[in-house]
Amino acid sequence: MKFSAIALALAAALAATPAAAQGGDTKAELAKLKPKDFPTEPIEFTVVYPAGGGMDVTGRLLAKTVEKVSGDRIIVNNRTGGAGMVGHTYLATQAKPDGYTVGVIANLMWGDAMLRAQNRWAYTDLEPIGYINSDALIWIGSTEGPYKGMSVKQIVQTAKDKPNTVRIATVPGSMWDYIVDQIEANFGAKFLRVPFQGGGAGITALIGGNVDIAQGFYSEFRGHLEAGKVAPLGVAAPDRMDFLKDMPTMNEALGGNEYQWIIIRFAVVPKGTQADRKAYLGAAVQAAMKDPELIAEYKKAGVYFDSKLTNPATMLQNLNAYATREKEFYQKTGRLK
Amino acid sequence: MDAINGLMHGFGVILTLQNLYLCLLGSLIGTLVGVLPGVGPMAALALLLPVTFTLQPVGGMVMLASIFYGAMYGGSTTSILLNIPGEAASVVTCLDGHKLARQGRAGAALGIAALGSFFAGTLGVIIMTFFAPAIAALAIRFGPPENFGLMVLGLVCTLYMITGSPVKGVLMIALGFLCAAIGLDVVNGRERFTFGSVDLSAGIELLAVVIGLFGVSEVLSNVETMAKSTLVSDKIRGLWPTLDDWRQSWKPMLRGSGLGFVLGLVPGGGPVTASFMSYALERRVSDTPERFGEGAIEGVAGPESANNAAVAGSLIPVLSLGIPGNPVTALLLGALVIHGIQPGPLFVTQRPDLFWGIVASMYVGNVFLLLLNLPLVGLWAQLLRIPYRVLFPVVLLLSVIGTYSANKNVFDLWVMLGFGIAGYVLRKLEYDLAPFVIAFVLAPMLEQSMRQSLAMSADGAMIFFQRPGTALLLAASAVLVALMFRRKRKTEGGMP
Repeated sequence: MKFSAIALALAAALAATPAAAQGGDTKAELAKLKPKDFPTEPIEFTVVYPAGGGMDVTGRLLAKTVEKVSGDRIIVNNRTGGAGMVGHTYLATQAKPDGYTVGVIANLMWGDAMLRAQNRWAYTDLEPIGYINSDALIWIGSTEGPYKGMSVKQIVQTAKDKPNTVRIATVPGSMWDYIVDQIEANFGAKFLRVPFQGGGAGITALIGGNVDIAQGFYSEFRGHLEAGKVAPLGVAAPDRMDFLKDMPTMNEALGGNEYQWIIIRFAVVPKGTQADRKAYLGAAVQAAMKDPELIAEYKKAGVYFDSKLTNPATMLQNLNAYATREKEFYQKTGRLK
Repeated sequence: MDAINGLMHGFGVILTLQNLYLCLLGSLIGTLVGVLPGVGPMAALALLLPVTFTLQPVGGMVMLASIFYGAMYGGSTTSILLNIPGEAASVVTCLDGHKLARQGRAGAALGIAALGSFFAGTLGVIIMTFFAPAIAALAIRFGPPENFGLMVLGLVCTLYMITGSPVKGVLMIALGFLCAAIGLDVVNGRERFTFGSVDLSAGIELLAVVIGLFGVSEVLSNVETMAKSTLVSDKIRGLWPTLDDWRQSWKPMLRGSGLGFVLGLVPGGGPVTASFMSYALERRVSDTPERFGEGAIEGVAGPESANNAAVAGSLIPVLSLGIPGNPVTALLLGALVIHGIQPGPLFVTQRPDLFWGIVASMYVGNVFLLLLNLPLVGLWAQLLRIPYRVLFPVVLLLSVIGTYSANKNVFDLWVMLGFGIAGYVLRKLEYDLAPFVIAFVLAPMLEQSMRQSLAMSADGAMIFFQRPGTALLLAASAVLVALMFRRKRKTEGGMP
């Protein structure tokens, strides 16, 4: 009886999926690309982070819209563990390249491939089919306590004058750590690095007064910003954010052009996926990304769209340039031989 | 009063046919996933998340929340009847609950578990109604050093859970620590004890360990004795708790509710830790600790109240600050975001309909769950009439499904099987399994909070004494250890 209740709820959910009211053109174009024998079963969107997180929300919103524009059934599956490593490895080495597996991932995959995969797989084993959105790392301070009102420059200066006093939240072995590496090396400063499992936990610690600086994404601290609890200090992106015009970039604040730490989200298929299926899936993702509702949802989540990647023609080339940039950083810092 | 007005507003929102239906549906699903071994609230919420997209935010959140606390009601059922935890927060309920069932008192244990859950759940919501914002502001100051103190206290409590040989018990705690160390180092992200395996780099999944140690090994043990054992159902008597049961249970319920609520509030805590610590607490304060593990009703009343109170406690930081303390609440937060709602400190004022709607629904949901679970006591007890040859393959199948659904990783099934066999062997050798599990749960949090504290401290380990909260918790731990030795000397001295 209970199972039938669930089934009823599921059926209701399916029936209520809105048919594509608009975008008839995109639908027609997509139909032209649609291979004859594909898809005959639901397509799995693999998200390598737990349900409910930022990456999961991104994937589910995308899945909802791809369903709308293509009419195909999409299932979102979270393959989690090892901070994404398990899911990335699954996509690169185990998932069948038959078009029924699409990875909704972020560029954190590059670090896993270059530093942790031990040549079992490479980032080229996952082929990008569509760009989704980007999120840049932002330094956040508290509106209370000894460092309130200080700029990034002043805080770095304090960490230099009084080493091991300023507490900063990081996520070990990732960009949260790398940017602190860069700043410490360039200015001779020394922070107390407090390790957390993710950016959100660090922001919680900032509000609780347990660290002095946190690093995170706009969506992670927006609620606290509106409540006046935190102050954004600087963004590790090439340009200022549209929604936080007053916040300088880290490059402006510290001088230089190396402080760029960005999460780039995109969809991939395993290498070897049939060309026609890959082209169709790519077109479906790109068509979804033209949906104004989806764009509005993403904007509400506080992400931005990188103009270098929004054009499908140059996406791959520019994405590879970002990957190369990351590889060079690892080589320069001795992380990668 | 603001809270009363808010609550009335909430009831206004919730008392529509659709929202009540969703609350009832969530309660049913929650009870079901609680009862089914292996399938926990996390898996159910992840599965049903897409369904809520099409609902109004209030209805969707009400349903998801009711699955979460509904699972706490259902979890005890499998523990009591089959000695297999329905979900991780009901592991300790096996210890005494199943003994009670074996003595023919399954009904009493189930009844006390349901009533304790209702009592704690309702008490939790009442506290939430009146003090949520204030409590949340306090809970957020609870940082790594305080967490460290709490974990040490939890570990000391584990010592009180050892029933047989102390040496074997401590050995199991050490093993739990060792197994928890596998995976990525929490501080520098390096791999530990993974031997180059990607699967091990994710660490060992708690669910696979619990299902293996308690579910699979229980099935193995029973298969062995199947031929000679008499069915428990042959001697079911008294479907209701007696007056005596009540007398023994009301204090543990109260203590369990308080403890669970606090542990739910703090980051890293939650129903699992709460149930374990409540059991240890009950054993500590009992005049007759030797009854524990032999069918003490307090050992059911305390933990079953604690895990429900912990759910109410853990919803407070999420709803009033937008800060999740455990994976399930993180998922609820994600559900809000998908509905286009920004959780955060302003949530209560910006979306009073949602906040108070969810709070009001919890009053309703707990009543639904009590009404669902009490009449079901008789029905569940009938479950024991199912012959083992039918029941156990079904249990095994559900264990496999539940374990796989957590991460969709086949490796977890091997872990489950491995721990099943290990659990079987350890039972034969009379090792306690519960201390292993709690050490396994506490170890990562203990390690992380300790290393975080040291990282944020300018003068090393002094931070543990500079922070009053931490100092207090560590002092309490020291007193408990001292008391343990005193008790031991006393019993030794008393022996001829």
